[in-house]
Amino acid sequence: MKAFNSIATTVLILGFSSPTWASEGEKLYVQKTCVACHGKDAKSPILPSYPKLAGQNPDYLFQQMKDIQSGARDNGQTAAMKGVMHLVNEKEMRAIADWLSTLK
Amino acid sequence: MKSFVIKAAVVAVSTLLATNAAYAWNEGGGEQDAALHLEPDLENGMEVYEVCSACHLPEGWGQTEGTFPQLAGQHRSVLIKQLADIRARNRDNPTMYPFALPEAIGDAQALADVVAYIEKLPMNPNWGKGPWGPGTPEYAEGEKLFKENCVKCHGPTGMGDPEKFYPRINGQHYKYMLRQFEWIRDGKRRNANPEMVKQIQGFTDKEMQMVINYVSHQPVPEEDLAPSADWTNPDFE
Repeated sequence: MKAFNSIATTVLILGFSSPTWASEGEKLYVQKTCVACHGKDAKSPILPSYPKLAGQNPDYLFQQMKDIQSGARDNGQTAAMKGVMHLVNEKEMRAIADWLSTLK
Repeated sequence: MKSFVIKAAVVAVSTLLATNAAYAWNEGGGEQDAALHLEPDLENGMEVYEVCSACHLPEGWGQTEGTFPQLAGQHRSVLIKQLADIRARNRDNPTMYPFALPEAIGDAQALADVVAYIEKLPMNPNWGKGPWGPGTPEYAEGEKLFKENCVKCHGPTGMGDPEKFYPRINGQHYKYMLRQFEWIRDGKRRNANPEMVKQIQGFTDKEMQMVINYVSHQPVPEEDLAPSADWTNPDFE
């Protein structure tokens, strides 16, 4: 219920009126602004030097998100992502990672 | 056509970088001036805005929790200056950086188009406010600080001054303003007006919270606001 509330709140805050999401991960990918940099299909990043995520191993994705959020990883271009990582918790990261891994 | 646009953008950004080699608060010139004086095409501005809307939302309202500012209603000149500064790395914003590049936005004309579109968006009637409403001692202290330090440039209700690139601050989210104010005070936001940096040097954290709280409770003119907080931008439905 609590998770539902926080999702409902997010939907309200972000103003998505009629979401038709195939999965939680897909929804979060848009609402938590991952889509802005990594692209709608998760393989057309805004900069060529940003990674393509579609089909990546879910545990690897999850670990990178966790490490960028905590600061354990702060090399490369992580500064760009660090600015939004407070928007997601571990459960949400997991959902995003799992969904990304299903993409081709 | 596309390659022409890309070439024009490359020229524009090179000019910008050259112009801003010894960048201070606001030297202008180059692409910034060009964009300011071009006739905007709002239809194209809407198309360009799509890339911005992923974070700033289709309504341009940002988020009350402060990660992304409200852009709707902001002066065109201020938006252009911030985009140009981020692009030229005069304002450190690694998250925003790729979106300020010509590949994402386009040439000076596209810049003029998108900022005109943003300026005309109706503002969020339910923006993020500070914790102390009118009648509290913190509000009163914030008002005093505002009148002593801010009103000369930002105006009595925080409308700013488009001619001088002073941002509109009424209607902006409290948490966003707080972070920017702190960065300006502490020298982390490098494109700040040095006069402001000097003006707010002596502010304690509490004073900072009180003055920003006061700003966040200032009214936004009715005609600038969306009819309700449930309004959605019909251009992106």
